[in-house]
Amino acid sequence: MTVPLIFLTFFGAAALWFAIVVFRTHSMVRSALALLFSQTAVGAMFLVMQAEFLGVLQIMMMATEMSVMAIFMVMFMMDPGGLGEMEMTHQKKRSLWAGGIGFAAALALAWAGNWGPEATVIPQAARQTELLGIELLGRSMFIFESAGLTILTAMIAATMVAIAPEKAKQPKTVPQKTAPQHKGHSHDH
Amino acid sequence: MIIELSVALSFAAGLFGVGLYGALSQTNLVMIMMGVELMLAAALINLVAFWRYLHPDAMSGQMFVLIVMTVMAVEMAVGFGVAIARFRVRGSVEMEEARELKG
Amino acid sequence: MSIAAPLAAVLIGAYLVAVLERWSVHGRFSLSAPAISALALLGRESITTRKADALFFEAGPVLLLVAGLLAVAVIPLAPGLIVTDLASGALFLNAALAYVLVALIMAGWGPDGAYGMIGGWRFLGQFLGYAMLIVMPITAVAMRAESLMTTQIVQSQAQLWNIVYQPLGFVLFIIAAVALAFVPPLDLPVAGGDLAGGVEAEYTGARLAILRLARMVIILALAGATATFYLGGWLGPVLPPWAWSALKTLIVAAAMLSAGRFIPRIREARFLELCWKLGIPLSLANIFLVGVLVLVVPL
Repeated sequence: MTVPLIFLTFFGAAALWFAIVVFRTHSMVRSALALLFSQTAVGAMFLVMQAEFLGVLQIMMMATEMSVMAIFMVMFMMDPGGLGEMEMTHQKKRSLWAGGIGFAAALALAWAGNWGPEATVIPQAARQTELLGIELLGRSMFIFESAGLTILTAMIAATMVAIAPEKAKQPKTVPQKTAPQHKGHSHDH
Repeated sequence: MIIELSVALSFAAGLFGVGLYGALSQTNLVMIMMGVELMLAAALINLVAFWRYLHPDAMSGQMFVLIVMTVMAVEMAVGFGVAIARFRVRGSVEMEEARELKG
Repeated sequence: MSIAAPLAAVLIGAYLVAVLERWSVHGRFSLSAPAISALALLGRESITTRKADALFFEAGPVLLLVAGLLAVAVIPLAPGLIVTDLASGALFLNAALAYVLVALIMAGWGPDGAYGMIGGWRFLGQFLGYAMLIVMPITAVAMRAESLMTTQIVQSQAQLWNIVYQPLGFVLFIIAAVALAFVPPLDLPVAGGDLAGGVEAEYTGARLAILRLARMVIILALAGATATFYLGGWLGPVLPPWAWSALKTLIVAAAMLSAGRFIPRIREARFLELCWKLGIPLSLANIFLVGVLVLVVPL
């Protein structure tokens, strides 16, 4: 057992455990924060695997994302604290089978695959960040820009979908206003 | 045989399995999104592990991680947009009640 | 390098920030007052609420403290006097401080009280406003230093401090820092007047002491970050480097804390509007401006 292996196992187990907690707890806020800690553990795994920039980025991004997820859960659920212990699953058995088969297949591939020789020379963290920048603004610039454009489009589209439609308000207010006036006007005609 | 790579891939497999179970079994739209996030996290672990143990000189591996992170954010934005629209019309984001979305 | 010296510096710094906060609120400068109130808090009974989410209730203040300490870990006090000089230190500072949000949501949700919960979610609204304003000015700072390492960022200011080189970024960053440290006028999560203490409302005794200490550490971390990113960190004549860092950090902390005396509290929706409609275009302009400056005036 080497030191990175121990840390990798520890953070991997933490990520897995928190991932299971996500679907086992009844409290929605706990569920969202368990997902956050699972993702943070994934970020820590990146740090163990010497991808420092990506690890820190993952840890930073997920804090925000999952907090937003938590507030949406609180907004959408009748019982975000999970005190009523309501059932929120369907086709449980089939899902368990699907998840199990997916896990087993990936696990078998992970251990049976011939991955070739291990790379030994890893660039220093500062050099990695520099190389990543050169990659992003060099060969992969188009892909990177497409990703940026995609996220902009998604933001605009999501906002458009989410904004309250103006038309829905009018039918409710218009009859109420005209109804009392109707009698008064009828004398004029 | 690279032990570290296999260990990392195993935990990624576990996360993927849990995420797949969650995405299929949950009835709430936001919980389904959590399942999808877990599956994407598993993909992230795989990408970083492959980069670290097989091709540390090729930065395209790290770039792909950034793209997957973008996909996660896009998924969140679109998912919540749909969720808000549904909640406004139907008062819930339970997918059992979304029969009209069935083809 | 031993970790004891930076840790002692953090504790002393947090204590001095507490002294400064008391001065900014009560107008009296007393070196012993925070120690007395801390002892009083530790001696007081710890009350828990009914149906509390015990895990979040206990973990919230601790996570807040851990977030603050991790953020301090990448701030250099002097050359070599830094806990860990990460290659992506400036980003790590953000990552650690993002957990302030998580900790406040946990601490607000945990006790099952209306004031705490509103306080916690309010901070999420505030966060959406300041998040971009803290990342984008740092981007401009890193552009000039050509590195994310905090020590290199300090060294890049040897010729000219960043506060002169990119004043726009400094203004945006300090506003975001005030919002992140939730000190007045942006103290919505713990608003004394309208939320009865907000997140702090249900905490008593030792837990409140941890919460208060964590807040001081966060203010210290942000003041230190401002000193590092914009005021040249340890650079300065005559005095030893650590003294310059300490002095600059405390001056920034005093400035951050005293702003609340003159500006009324801002609602989170208004703050969000200001940040997105004005702050983000300005910070983009700042990045562009610094980019041009780096190319034209290589100082």
